[in-house]
Amino acid sequence: MPEGAIRVNPWAPGPVDLSVRVYTWLLSAYPGRFRAEYGHHMAQFFRDVCRRDYDRGGLTGMASLWARTSLDLIRTTVEEHIERGIDMSRESFVRWSGWALMAGAVLFAAGLIIGSFDSFDMDPIGGVDAVYEISQAVGLALGQVLFVIGLLGLRAGYAGRSGSLGAGLLLLAVVAGIVSLGGLLVMNSIEVAWQIWMGGFVAMTLTLAVFGIVAIRRKVFSRWNFAPILAGVGLPLLFGIGIAGVDSVSGQAPEWGSLLAVVMTSVGLILVGYRMQAEAGKTAAPAA
Amino acid sequence: MAEVAQPESFLPLTPAVFHILLALADGEKHGYAIMQEVEGATEGRVQMGPGTLYGSIKRMLAAGLIEESDDRPDPTLDDERRRYYRQTGLGRKVLRMETERMAELMALARRKHVLVGFGSRSILT
Repeated sequence: MPEGAIRVNPWAPGPVDLSVRVYTWLLSAYPGRFRAEYGHHMAQFFRDVCRRDYDRGGLTGMASLWARTSLDLIRTTVEEHIERGIDMSRESFVRWSGWALMAGAVLFAAGLIIGSFDSFDMDPIGGVDAVYEISQAVGLALGQVLFVIGLLGLRAGYAGRSGSLGAGLLLLAVVAGIVSLGGLLVMNSIEVAWQIWMGGFVAMTLTLAVFGIVAIRRKVFSRWNFAPILAGVGLPLLFGIGIAGVDSVSGQAPEWGSLLAVVMTSVGLILVGYRMQAEAGKTAAPAA
Repeated sequence: MAEVAQPESFLPLTPAVFHILLALADGEKHGYAIMQEVEGATEGRVQMGPGTLYGSIKRMLAAGLIEESDDRPDPTLDDERRRYYRQTGLGRKVLRMETERMAELMALARRKHVLVGFGSRSILT
């Protein structure tokens, strides 16, 4: 039997039998998932109403029922298709932005690690240092674009279950990510671009770290709710160490500290991105 | 995992959702029984087609206002494939808050003499 089909009572009057068959066929206008879930029940419901109206009003009753049912069918078919479309769009966006966050984390780590091989000896463009520098610039810029997409998806998928504080933090992280990207894009044009880039990045990761506390308290993800904290504390911690002057000679954080911070940030973002793409289907909850 | 929705976030309810919750206030029912209850209670003024009824039921299930019930009031009289629905705790709260909201509106309408007589069938003039 096809989806939504019901066994028509052999003793049902001809018009009822025919109407139920036509209505069952018309159910194919609904989205497949809705039809599979409710098609049978809708056909059964229609059969019950059909029998009642035929008993009460004969063919006139049937005509009135069909007039009402046609309007209902047209309106709710459109509604269900629109709702399905919105759910699908959001689900897809959250899933793909999860992948974007993971890819961004890999590019970010690769860019910084490859860039650290650069001797910064002010050689003219060319040679192996140029490869390092270009790799770093591409990795960081592309990675930052992907971070912004990923954070937008994180907000789209999880703001609703994060409460007003969590939703506000996610918005702040998106804004900070965009500021950081802006700094990268004007790196060769204005003097304070580096500060804008790093300031934005640290704000973005710090905000993520605070969001991680909300995530743990509210169980925002089905697991790994610590991941935003892991993603968020690495670089601010590194800056803290640097400012505190752990390496008393240069005032910079030691190399192992840099590597640890980059790895923590990247692993944290990869874990968040993985949860997003894995849970994308569960983040869409239509309102009643 | 999912956030527990606040009852007030559902207000105001759509007429279909309100009538379905009201129909389920005195026990679980299947779709056709819900429709009969709504038609009976409103003397036929509110009629729900299958698309409206099951579209609303789908959204109400997703929102946690109702849930499916395994109980069958009389299994011998029923097609076992019929689904029965009942209110959840959240659904009861939402219905109560919506009713209170409507009662406040009614009180306001009375104070402004919009209402013609208490218990009038044609409520608003």
